[in-house]
Amino acid sequence: MSPAGRSLRRTLALSGKELRHIVRDPRTLYLALGMPVVMLFIFGYAVTFDLDRLPLGVLDADRSPESRELVRAFESSGVFQRAWDLSNAAEEAEGHFHRGRIQGALVISPGFGRELGAGREGQVQFLLDGTDGVTAAIALGYAGAIAKAYQLRLLSRLSLELAPPLDARVRLRYNPEARSTIFIVPGLIALILALMMVLLTSLSVAREWERGSLEQLFATPAKRLQILIGKLLPYVALGMLQVLLVLALGTLLFQVPVRGSLLWLLGTALVFISGCVGQGLLISVLTRNQQLATQVAAITALLPTVLLSGFIFPIENMPWPLQALSTIVPARYFISALRGIMLKGNGPAEIWPQLAALLTFALVMLAAANARFQRRLD
Amino acid sequence: MSGAILAATDLSRRFGKIVALDGLSLSMGAGELFGLVGPDGAGKTTALRLLAGQLRPDAGSVRVMARDPVREGDAVRAELGYVPQQFSLYGDLSVQENLDFFGAMFGLNGAEVEARSEELLALTRLKPFRSRRADALSGGMYKKLSVACSLLHRPRVLLLDEPTNGVDPISRRELWQLLQRFAAQGMAVLLSTPYMDEAARCHRVGLLHRGRLVRCGPPGELRHSVGHGCYWLEDLPRQIAEEVLAQTAVLTRVPQGKRYRLLVRRDGEEALAQRVSQAGGRLTPTQPGFEDLFLLFTSEGGDGA
Repeated sequence: MSPAGRSLRRTLALSGKELRHIVRDPRTLYLALGMPVVMLFIFGYAVTFDLDRLPLGVLDADRSPESRELVRAFESSGVFQRAWDLSNAAEEAEGHFHRGRIQGALVISPGFGRELGAGREGQVQFLLDGTDGVTAAIALGYAGAIAKAYQLRLLSRLSLELAPPLDARVRLRYNPEARSTIFIVPGLIALILALMMVLLTSLSVAREWERGSLEQLFATPAKRLQILIGKLLPYVALGMLQVLLVLALGTLLFQVPVRGSLLWLLGTALVFISGCVGQGLLISVLTRNQQLATQVAAITALLPTVLLSGFIFPIENMPWPLQALSTIVPARYFISALRGIMLKGNGPAEIWPQLAALLTFALVMLAAANARFQRRLD
Repeated sequence: MSGAILAATDLSRRFGKIVALDGLSLSMGAGELFGLVGPDGAGKTTALRLLAGQLRPDAGSVRVMARDPVREGDAVRAELGYVPQQFSLYGDLSVQENLDFFGAMFGLNGAEVEARSEELLALTRLKPFRSRRADALSGGMYKKLSVACSLLHRPRVLLLDEPTNGVDPISRRELWQLLQRFAAQGMAVLLSTPYMDEAARCHRVGLLHRGRLVRCGPPGELRHSVGHGCYWLEDLPRQIAEEVLAQTAVLTRVPQGKRYRLLVRRDGEEALAQRVSQAGGRLTPTQPGFEDLFLLFTSEGGDGA
């Protein structure tokens, strides 16, 4: 057999063996293919940052056509739902807030319609449950927008030719309905890959250290690179399978668009996965122990990907030390590139900086793992 | 050391402050069966790992067919079979799959692997179990598979770390027959074992104690090199026996049932014989065995002479 043929045969035999390990340990397979589905369902259906029918308490003490129109404007927005009619007292609203029956209250004082009719300022009070700051901030934005629209309608009705001085028309590009699922799916792909790839590869090599099979493997003339590539290849393939699975479910169930090239998307994913398996390999080479490898993988892969990648928390809002730290989190570049490709239809011209960062990370991780992986026991 | 297939010169290795191996030198020719005997912690595993190139020595050198296993690893591994002590095959792969995998690792093509694994399965009588998962094999079968996997590339040197540990007596005898057969075919076979009784089956034995090779030679010669009298002491109650034996000329004493096995310095034999007959006991000379030899080293802290 030629040296190249022998090399290929060794690499493939290692991959085949690794594939058998994966297939014969159903837990790995369940974890690798089940977890993305579960996470997609959780994030797609349960965890959503979109506001929908927020329960609203309404106290309309005015009962004028104007006040009824304002209440209707809130109801028809779809964001708020009239849940309770409050009779009069502010304490009643407080009680409902406490019991969690309402998250907002609209209080229109008597004389609202009369004041408006006289051309003066009408007073409206809007109360919000601020316990959940994110929801409150979004609700406040909507309430302001509804009030503003109502105001504009009133103005055009009252003073005929007096056009409003500024007509700002905000249009959300790429995700017009601001659906968080669309925004979440790219992040979810990164999270699943970062977690599973790092964890599975670090466990697979650490297991061989623990069981002692590496000692037998080291007694063969197989080269270091053949061992590494052969062991990593099946996990890279598994990672690509996960990407395809999440993409397929995301498009089918949540109408997540892929506006850019699918080939560039998969290519970018391949580079990210290579970095992740490199990281997993480095962890297992350094720890040589499954339990420790799991912990290190969780700390170095899961935490930064959830917290510092822009998956949920915008990087722009972080204090500068965290922003600086986020520059070495590969998921940050991957998520940004994925969102670009999927939502904006970006191609290589736009995503090359992210791609370059991911490529750098992958090369550094694989080189470090390769350097530390000794073909000996000491 | 012309003609030496495996040679170690002044081989030393420490782990932190512990000196695991201290100046091991040995040389083996083709067709030789060499046993490295010593208690747990004597440095047997370290010695084998150094010989196999799995560890780097702190001092000294190893040559396998005149090559350095650290610097010319691939060339050495092509001539070397190594069976580690711990379970080191893939438990979730079948017997045949393990053979196929290691065959590919050794660079054999499919036809070669098939022919040689057939041969080895027949030799180790594992054929009926070829589709059984390795972790479902008994201890003896597992060891035989381990040996088979390290012989696929037809090495000229075979190193085995405690191959008979945890193996039942029948499989143990079978394993020994295999090893003797390999040696008869010209292979240099080196194994380690904590069992003294196995040493007698080797062509040459090295006694390893606290990292040092304290004796080395053919088993018969070693036994005769004890240089002290070996006796059975009988017919004395325990307490009286202990009193009679409490003197410096008695180097080792091991109670075995109602008897004692003794090693006695030559210059103290006469005096002891007198005391024993005075007490009403009986002293019978016997042949020293490996165990006596070994006890001598361990009780005297490795001096032994």
